[in-house]
Amino acid sequence: MAVTLFLISIITFTVTNILPGDVAMMIMGTQSNPAALANLRESLGLNDPLIYQYGRWIFGMLTGDWGNSLLFKQPIGPILLQKMTASALIVLLSMTIALTLAIPLGVWSAVYKNRWQDTAGSSVSILGVSLPDFFWGIMLILLFARALGWFPSSGFVHPNEDFLLALKHAFLPSLALGLGLMAHLTRMTRATMTGILSQEFIRVARAKGLAEKTVIWQYGLANAIGPVMTVAGLQMGYLFGSIIVMESLFNYTGMGWLTYQALLNRDMPLIQATVFVIAAVVMLVNLLVDLLYPIFDPRIELK
Amino acid sequence: MSIFKKFLNFKGIIGITLVLCVILIAVLAPLIIPPEFATRMDMRARLSPPNMAHWMGTDQLGRDLFYRVMLGARTSINIATSAVLMSLVIGLPLGLISGYFGGRTDNVLMRLVDTLLSFPALLLALTISAVLGPNLQNTIIAIGIAFTPYLARLIRGEALRVAQMPYVEAARSSGATNSRLIIGHVLPNIMPVVIVQSTISLAFAILAEAGLSFLGLGTQPPEASWGLMIQASRDYLDRAPWTALVPGTAVALTVLGLNMFGDVLRDVLDPRSQS
Repeated sequence: MAVTLFLISIITFTVTNILPGDVAMMIMGTQSNPAALANLRESLGLNDPLIYQYGRWIFGMLTGDWGNSLLFKQPIGPILLQKMTASALIVLLSMTIALTLAIPLGVWSAVYKNRWQDTAGSSVSILGVSLPDFFWGIMLILLFARALGWFPSSGFVHPNEDFLLALKHAFLPSLALGLGLMAHLTRMTRATMTGILSQEFIRVARAKGLAEKTVIWQYGLANAIGPVMTVAGLQMGYLFGSIIVMESLFNYTGMGWLTYQALLNRDMPLIQATVFVIAAVVMLVNLLVDLLYPIFDPRIELK
Repeated sequence: MSIFKKFLNFKGIIGITLVLCVILIAVLAPLIIPPEFATRMDMRARLSPPNMAHWMGTDQLGRDLFYRVMLGARTSINIATSAVLMSLVIGLPLGLISGYFGGRTDNVLMRLVDTLLSFPALLLALTISAVLGPNLQNTIIAIGIAFTPYLARLIRGEALRVAQMPYVEAARSSGATNSRLIIGHVLPNIMPVVIVQSTISLAFAILAEAGLSFLGLGTQPPEASWGLMIQASRDYLDRAPWTALVPGTAVALTVLGLNMFGDVLRDVLDPRSQS
């Protein structure tokens, strides 16, 4: 894991340093005096070899000194922490929405394989995969915010201030993300369940006269939940990518919004920090899913 | 001729029709429609709903959405195709070498690929595009690089499987060199999977281009691309929802077609994964 984090940091640093731009010029503006620019470059250590710059950056990250954002003129650490909590709400909410819709829909499709119920389920999910998630977002804004006025169309409220209002603000972006996610998970649940329902032990369970409900939910789904959770974990990467689009669309000031602002304004220290943190979180979540696997499938033991 | 019959189910027909239509539009529209049709502004007809003069309505500058969406097809298809080709050019050799030779090469390469997979594809593409400066060419590079690890991982797995087949063993024992084995035996046998995955990647690339342009870090105006059109519609949603619906539907139909086509291709080319 330490090796992976180290690799993540190297990739982050490399990707952000291939740019031809100049941080000093970004701070002082293009019209600034060349001598002052050179001075600033020297004091920022921009003339040092890249390997030194990387060393300094990673040392700062490890010791908790994440530098200052050029855009917000504030230390990066506290900003990140605050935005992470905002995004955690969206990530959890959209995952919950996706799973509660996808598992029943996928199971239903698998049980009624090749009947109209399956066609309906598959159509819904292929439509979900095909629509860009910001398009879902726009549709939801039009329907729930503009036409019905049930939910606010933009903004963020901290859960500590007013939890209900915070949920209301997080709901539409989470729903838009959740719908795209649901489509992927439904397809996965259907495929796994189809495989399991054709196995011998299901026939045995039916033959000994168990209720169909028990067979499907306790015998079938219990075996399908592991792979589904793994895919859900893998979808975290997709989710953290989409969150950038969705938070910008809804003006929800979380991690995604912060990343977008950093990218737009070429705020190099902030870009490095956000990209690194997002990749690290995605990796950690996948690790966590692997570690939790025995809970979903007790046959698996961790080595 | 049974292979053609497999294409002719409901999903196959819809998928193929949609894909063919989009390709036809992307190729023919720029030949038939004069480019100024998409940029001609008509200030008296700003944000007008679909009518006889403008079949799909107009945008905030009074430009005809029908012509813009038709001409935008080429930009979107162009970017998606080039990006997927680029990730194939990098990912195919990487995956082949990694899977075929195994051992230390494989360990190092796949460690790198796995780490890259921790970066959300869209985040990677956005960062590269922002860092290089957003324009058409850099959008292709950004999406191409972001998609490479996924393809490399898949191709590696397939190459690993095929490299252990008895027929590869047989060819090796009759003295075929590694390069001959890779190009002559492994590559042709992983092609079905590569083709299917490329088709599905095309769908994702269309979505990625739309996402990048929507955030202003992809195609730049005055180019007409679908993502850019949706971005422009954001401020006029209340008064003119069709400005978002027209390009959004174009993206959706294209991606839908590619997904369905990919599913059917998989059933035809890759009998192991019958759905």
